[in-house]
Amino acid sequence: MINFSRVSLVYPTSTKTILEDLSFEISEGEMVLVIGSTGTGKSSLLRLINGLVPHHTGGILAGDISVDGISTRLVRPGELSHLVGIVGQNPAQGFVTDIVEEELAFGMEALNIAPDLMRKRVEEILDLLALSHLRDRAISTLSGGEQQRVAIGSALVMNPKVLVLDEPTSALDPIAAEEVLSILHRLVHDLSLTVVIAEHRLERVIGFADRIIHIAGDGSAEINLPEEILKRSDIAPPIVHLARALGLSQVGLSVRDVRRMTEEIRTNGRDPEVIAPVQADLAISTQNLSLSYQGKPALRDVTTNIYNGEIVALMGRNGAGKSSLLTTLVGLNNEAKGTSEICGRSSKDLKGKARREIVGFIPQEPSDLLYGQSVKGECAQADEDNECAAGTALALLERIVPAIDPNTHPRDLSEGQRLALALAIVLSAQPQVLILDEPTRGLDYQAKALLITLLKSFAKELNRSVLIATHDVELVAELCDRVIFLAEGEVVADGPTLEILLSSPAFAPQVAKVMSPRPWLTVSDVLRAVE
Amino acid sequence: MKTLHPLTWWIWSLLTIGAVIHADSSWLAGSAVAVAAILVWRFSLAAPWAKSFWFSLKIGVFILIIRTIVGVLIGVPIPGTKLVTVPIVPLPHWLAGIRIGGVITQERLLSSIHEGLIIISVISLFGAAVSLTSPHKLLRVTPVAIYEFGVATVIATSALPNLVQSISRIRRARALRGDEKPSWRSIALPLLEDSLSRSLELAAAMDARGFGVSRKRSRYRPITWHGVDSAIVLTSALVLAVTLAVVR
Repeated sequence: MINFSRVSLVYPTSTKTILEDLSFEISEGEMVLVIGSTGTGKSSLLRLINGLVPHHTGGILAGDISVDGISTRLVRPGELSHLVGIVGQNPAQGFVTDIVEEELAFGMEALNIAPDLMRKRVEEILDLLALSHLRDRAISTLSGGEQQRVAIGSALVMNPKVLVLDEPTSALDPIAAEEVLSILHRLVHDLSLTVVIAEHRLERVIGFADRIIHIAGDGSAEINLPEEILKRSDIAPPIVHLARALGLSQVGLSVRDVRRMTEEIRTNGRDPEVIAPVQADLAISTQNLSLSYQGKPALRDVTTNIYNGEIVALMGRNGAGKSSLLTTLVGLNNEAKGTSEICGRSSKDLKGKARREIVGFIPQEPSDLLYGQSVKGECAQADEDNECAAGTALALLERIVPAIDPNTHPRDLSEGQRLALALAIVLSAQPQVLILDEPTRGLDYQAKALLITLLKSFAKELNRSVLIATHDVELVAELCDRVIFLAEGEVVADGPTLEILLSSPAFAPQVAKVMSPRPWLTVSDVLRAVE
Repeated sequence: MKTLHPLTWWIWSLLTIGAVIHADSSWLAGSAVAVAAILVWRFSLAAPWAKSFWFSLKIGVFILIIRTIVGVLIGVPIPGTKLVTVPIVPLPHWLAGIRIGGVITQERLLSSIHEGLIIISVISLFGAAVSLTSPHKLLRVTPVAIYEFGVATVIATSALPNLVQSISRIRRARALRGDEKPSWRSIALPLLEDSLSRSLELAAAMDARGFGVSRKRSRYRPITWHGVDSAIVLTSALVLAVTLAVVR
């Protein structure tokens, strides 16, 4: 179906070769997963399939790519729209209309398809993706998962033979992600659709993939069966790390397989010791916090206390009020009723320098915090703001990620490096509390591991507290002491990570699913138990 | 008001702009801005692009102030009632005919403000059309024959609303760094990058979905022109006709 023969790709503004001499073939009805660290060219590879690269972005392409026998070199991306459907990293930026139904029809209108046929196909897609009840809704009012389904629907409505998705679940909560992936699985099996998907969170997609393309980052790439690639690759889901750590003979890819191999460990392992919580000083406290936007409640009577030295995860589905709670806490949202205090000071009174020194906040887009012309300039600005010795922030950054060229422009950094820079700037003010909104979106495993070490040392060594809003259960399992669960703006659960994550199957990390009913969440938990 | 044709407000504002420019009257300019403000306040939906009008108004006022200062200080003096005298800046002899400073007359000040007002009204009428029309709907009525123009229009009309949206997000983030009143320079850079990449993303999505491939375009739900649309367009056409007749 898709044929790459001796493909090389170079962007004119960069000296790095993105892909070099890559040849492979993907047959009909296959689901292929593209993995690689950030910035290695996963998106470029996906966009080569329908010709957006190089037709839209520029770049020098050698070799030939053909889809269903049509060479992408000879036609514009639009002329492949009946053949290849593409769903971008951020579907909200790719919507061309306002209403769900119109969005679905857009591609067909462009191809001048007769109105009655359009009506029929739109109806089919609305049913297939369970979107019927949303047909008249404005797209901007939909939740992340719903938007993702609309984006997939508007690609599928053209009856393509190939569907290409770039990180389709990175913005979604575990339940919405599961929904989207099971729809894809069904399409592959029922309609023999060919699917190419790039994703960082392998634990979510690994069970569905037939083959994996691993892009190494030096231009080379390998395509093989998942078992073969994951045997050696450093990019691997927790379940594979578990198999490696336990020295299992095979790498199992599904929870079921690994469960069969680890029966003995489940019966013989020891339970973790219960560590009695140490009473510490109050860091964050809210009392009956309520907030509504245009009559719609976003937060309802949120009452919670967070203590020094604690790392707390704020979880919940898309639109449950996580971001509203965070912005209220740091004093960006002063319409809330009730009280919220950080280190004994009301959130509403936090201003300027005082805010910086009490609370460090990393927003969903860390680059919003950055405006300097270079990493060096950015750090110097932070030093000046905090009245500390020149070079403090830069030294901090060096500790977090070594070997960033200080003259690089912040825009040219990778996703992980940009987060590190924002963290270095925020931490150089030595805040009492650190708050992060979805920090692992778009981060690869390596960057995530770095983040975990950094946050742990911040909380435990300095005895300060960290609050993280996230969908990433693996991160929560590795990092957090406690989980606060929000639903419709209300706190529905609040307790130790172990208890909360094990109580709901949808939010359980992969290792916990394998080891259920034993209370082990991570690979290191299991290792400690069998020691 | 949901059912209005996407071109209605655009035609309305273009005709009104024509009238304002032709009449060259501060009164007409002022009242056009007032009418536009009332329309936007009353009819714009809770959409990201609805704030564009207020943004364009701010830009207009900014231009007025700068223009007035420059207009009063530099250039040929208009004789009349003297307000203040500013010392004349000595300039080299080859710049003869240009003067900085000197006598500021009431007439000079008024004419500068008058020109500024016309500019404000043109900018804010454009902003009103953006505020009142969904850029996405506008795209659906753009003829495919002018494909490149269609893409450019969508990018241009969606860039302003994106800009307004990004500004508030970046300002909030900046306040967190303890920067309560961030300078324009520090916002401009991330802003430009942000809205540019969004617009490119949109263009790529349109390209990938076959926009412009077929010369003809079918309609899923035809957008129809109603009586209300004609009425709105007629009012502005009337204003234009009157100014054309009265002002020679």
